[in-house]
Amino acid sequence: MGNMEEQELKDRLSLIENMIAEGRRTTESWGWTFVLWGVAYYVAIAWAYWGQPAIAWPVTMIAASVLTGVLASRSASKSPETTIGRAMMAIWVAMGISLFALMVALGVSGRLESHVSVAVVCTMLGTANATSSIILKWKMQFGCAVVWWASAVAACFTSDGVTSIVFLTAIFICQIVFGIYGMVAESREHKTGGARQGESHA
Amino acid sequence: MPELPELNPVIHGKLRLALLSLLSGVEVAEFTWLRAKTGSTDGNLGAQLLKLEEAGYVAVEKRFVQRKPQTLYRMTDAGRQALTEYVQALKQLLGAAIEA
Repeated sequence: MGNMEEQELKDRLSLIENMIAEGRRTTESWGWTFVLWGVAYYVAIAWAYWGQPAIAWPVTMIAASVLTGVLASRSASKSPETTIGRAMMAIWVAMGISLFALMVALGVSGRLESHVSVAVVCTMLGTANATSSIILKWKMQFGCAVVWWASAVAACFTSDGVTSIVFLTAIFICQIVFGIYGMVAESREHKTGGARQGESHA
Repeated sequence: MPELPELNPVIHGKLRLALLSLLSGVEVAEFTWLRAKTGSTDGNLGAQLLKLEEAGYVAVEKRFVQRKPQTLYRMTDAGRQALTEYVQALKQLLGAAIEA
């Protein structure tokens, strides 16, 4: 085998490696969903506090789900489907359905208690964030999971007022701040065309 | 000396090899995404994808999203198997070249 043929074989091997890496580098932008849901939580809390608590949460959550679905389907058509992308979607959709079913059932049965509700919501958000961060190897998101878990524990021991403040603060840190951070990171990612850990979803 | 393997001619083409490698990392990909990643022209890309489809290495699905036509490609099990065998053959050939 001549040197040229050997070089050609090496080029082919290199092409395969580069293309596989390029396929995996595909980025999906999800930072906006954190911000959207953070705003939705605030809207639901405000509406429940000053308006109609019976319908505030279910209506806001359904509206946020529909909006997420519509916006996600638009951006998804530009990116290829990946197993990690599907895993991410599975985690958040399953968590959303679980929380919705539980909270509606507790509300209808009249057994909805604020401390337990906040603790359950924070625990589940912590679980989803932790699972997602482990799959994506994104330490920053694991930090959010820790904040949610700490909020869940705090909700079990603190007064109504403090529980509300803890919940509002956790939403701000883990949804709004983290979401904006994600959007900035994703924007940089798209500009450079490179992939760093975590920010490149799927 | 063991007989050296032959490289699969369907996969050996540079663009077809690039396409199969790209598809191996995703579940399904749109035509426009493959075009952007390979920098190929529509005609050439379509022709090479057709060859891969005829060999049974990729499956094609056409659908409409927001009234716009989309052509989606996914790697088949036969395609994955063929790419794996191609890589093994490449490594074997390179190994033989180093030993020679």
